[in-house]
Amino acid sequence: MRTARLLLLGWLLQLKVMMRSAFNGVLSVVWPMFFATTAFFMYRAGRDEATLVYASLGASVMGIWSATSTSASSVLQRERRHGTLELLAAAPANFAYILIPISVAMSTIGLYSMIATLLWGRFVFGIELHLVHPLLFVLAVPVTIASVGALGFLLSVACVRYRSAWALGNALEYPVWLICGFLVPLALLPNWVGPISWVLAPTFGVRAIREAALGGTPVADLLACAGLGVAYFGAGILLADHVLRLARKSAALQLS
Amino acid sequence: MTYPVRVFFVGGLLSYRALFTWLTPWILIPTFLVAPIFQILLFAYIGRSANLQSDEFYVVGNALQYTSLPCLFAMANMLGDERWSQTLGILLSSPASRLALFLGRSLPVILNGALVGAFGFVAGTLILDVHVMASAFAPLALVILVTAVSCTGLGLVNGAIGLRVRESAVSSNILFGFLLVMCGVNVPLDELPGWMEAISSVLPLTHGIEAARELADGASLGDVSGLVATELGIGVVWAVIGCSLLRFLEVEARRRATLESS
Amino acid sequence: MSGGQSLGHAPAARGRSGHVPGTVPRTRPRRHARTTTRPAQRRNAAGGGGVGSLTIVAVIEARDLRRTYKTSTGTFRRRSLEVEAVRGVTFGVEQGELFGLLGPNGAGKTTTIKMLITLLIPTDGTASVLGFDVVKDAREVRKRIGYVFGGDRGLYDRLSGHDNLRYFAELYAVPPREQRPRIAELFELVGLSGREKERVEGYSRGMRQRLHIARGLLHDPPVVFLDEPTIGVDPVGARELRATIAQLVEAGKTVLLTTHYMFEADQLCDRIAVIARGEIVAEGTPAALKANVSEGGVVEVEVFGIEDASVERLRALEGVHSVNVEPREQAQVLVVQTDGRELTHALLAQLDGAQVGRVSAREPTLEDAYVSLVSES
Repeated sequence: MRTARLLLLGWLLQLKVMMRSAFNGVLSVVWPMFFATTAFFMYRAGRDEATLVYASLGASVMGIWSATSTSASSVLQRERRHGTLELLAAAPANFAYILIPISVAMSTIGLYSMIATLLWGRFVFGIELHLVHPLLFVLAVPVTIASVGALGFLLSVACVRYRSAWALGNALEYPVWLICGFLVPLALLPNWVGPISWVLAPTFGVRAIREAALGGTPVADLLACAGLGVAYFGAGILLADHVLRLARKSAALQLS
Repeated sequence: MTYPVRVFFVGGLLSYRALFTWLTPWILIPTFLVAPIFQILLFAYIGRSANLQSDEFYVVGNALQYTSLPCLFAMANMLGDERWSQTLGILLSSPASRLALFLGRSLPVILNGALVGAFGFVAGTLILDVHVMASAFAPLALVILVTAVSCTGLGLVNGAIGLRVRESAVSSNILFGFLLVMCGVNVPLDELPGWMEAISSVLPLTHGIEAARELADGASLGDVSGLVATELGIGVVWAVIGCSLLRFLEVEARRRATLESS
Repeated sequence: MSGGQSLGHAPAARGRSGHVPGTVPRTRPRRHARTTTRPAQRRNAAGGGGVGSLTIVAVIEARDLRRTYKTSTGTFRRRSLEVEAVRGVTFGVEQGELFGLLGPNGAGKTTTIKMLITLLIPTDGTASVLGFDVVKDAREVRKRIGYVFGGDRGLYDRLSGHDNLRYFAELYAVPPREQRPRIAELFELVGLSGREKERVEGYSRGMRQRLHIARGLLHDPPVVFLDEPTIGVDPVGARELRATIAQLVEAGKTVLLTTHYMFEADQLCDRIAVIARGEIVAEGTPAALKANVSEGGVVEVEVFGIEDASVERLRALEGVHSVNVEPREQAQVLVVQTDGRELTHALLAQLDGAQVGRVSAREPTLEDAYVSLVSES
């Protein structure tokens, strides 16, 4: 019960902090839209309506991943700069339960981008969206957000110890877009990419959202997405204490 | 006469080292080596999925476009860091020729950009199995260098904006995005709306990318010399604008005492 | 000066009650100073004195703590350097004591405190708080300590003061029912009532510092660690902060304070350990430290240009404890601490050849003692 309170309160307050940082918000919305726009232009030239809708749905989720991967690391750097990382680490609560709300809050910010991209696609490129399973669509979004947050949580566990892990987080932005089939059907990628994409929750999140909109079997994908998210949480919780110990050894919690 | 030259080289190199001691392999490799490869792959596969352009089209476009990343960020960071460490005021008040000073700082940035662009290009051609004639490599290297110069020119403007706005990361990212969408990187210019095409003709990258594509297709350096010259010219114009902007901001800051503020 | 001078171990210097003239009178009687080398015993956190036996319990105990940092230099060819920030620190703090760790910047105070609060793992040595080892029982330690550090950092700027405390209250497992009253109480205690709903980014530094203290006290820890809490705070604000700190000890808490303000340590602390270059160079009650110093004398000699060799010769003189060279406008002032005997002629004889200005002799102050302890001698 206490854990639930901690997670919920942490998420709310961290969300408050992030939402009040205007520049972050603007960039997290605008950045993925550059890529979405390029993709829309490209697909528009191909003159295939269905592909455009496909791309629009995938592109909308790009922002959720961007918000997480790029912020996972920089948020921790910010906590370090503000001196609060030490206070979080010195608290008796399980460090993992302190980090989880931070990354899930980051992914939640991605919701702005998702809405903005869908609207952009609709009003600038005329991409119309008709939801086949609206309820499942509405369910798929938070499930995707939470499981992407879980992946971000794993990333931030790494960042606690390694101060330059933010660069790795930034560099993971593109690969996930590609490998998880946001804009390109997985079938087109080399065979060996498949297994990698199956252990990444965003793959199933995007699929669930697409199939909820366009028709298909979103439930199976939703369950896979949620399952992976739970697995990430578990792995992160197990690792967090260990990584924290490493950070304490190497003085990585402080700024210098 | 040698004094400005010394300031140019020594000042540039020293300041670069001082400000980039944080660059470790852990940051260098993901940012400058891994990311451009994946940008190339992402768009090449989009192209394949809708049967658009050739792989070579996307390799050239994205490799060159990615050179703008270090050029934009490095320039802005350098100026931003100078202000943060409060050396900017000292710098601007020194008698050394301002031009030599800032051009000196541009040199490492240009080289950085060119290297990143070259790496992206080579890696892209290897991974996607794109065939480019050996004779094209030297001219391509020149075009990459020229593109880096013009991006750095834009980077100077970006740096000036960053000084004023205090958060250069936003403007760097936004400029990067605009270059991605507009300069014919992934979408042929004639498929873009007219007004975008018009803007792109005064931005860096547009002519450089076109020249590089023609070279990759077998043209000679002579054939593309006009494009290369235009690219260089555009870069110089942006650099001049950037320097003027810096001068203007410096005067304004002196009036408002904001030069040192964090 | 080799090793550490442990001042005040002589029985005569200890057990002094009452205050030393010239200092702010204490609001509570000074405790009898005791040795601190007995092993810690596990005790319940409620503490409380007078168990009947004479076994002394150290609430905070550090034994030969060491901490090395690895840094790297160079851009293209990185070399790693090892810096030993803390080189064998041993001390103990008793229940209800306000213990000061006094030293200049870079002496190792912050590193020591971070080891005690489980944020850093010592490279060597052990430490325990309330009987719990800081490495093995880190979580138990964290439940029972509060950590406050000075400066602007340590708070979420974009949240209100109230939200900040709510968050940390949750992190410190303050029971939900108690959170609201406790937070209100703490705002009252630190004098911030009425400003709870404002965002921290609008607080002054003094206010932030006070909120920081409130945060450290949320879970009512029996042991509180304060790392340079008054740094950068205006004099009035700092005085209020010190009053708050003194109140903590009156409430029965054990406090470890680090500072580089000597007067602060003198005013607040029951005992002080002077730390410099990673080692403890002196330890004792402020009165004992001063007593040690008052036996000597200080001669100040103004010179216009002096060679290092001459300074060394001065240091080598019998009866000279230390020589510090302080720049003062166009000249230097040699501050020579002596053991009290008349040395003026001997000193001037050694300075033969140098241009000498004013010479004066005076009583030493605690600051002289501190400066000579922490500077290169």
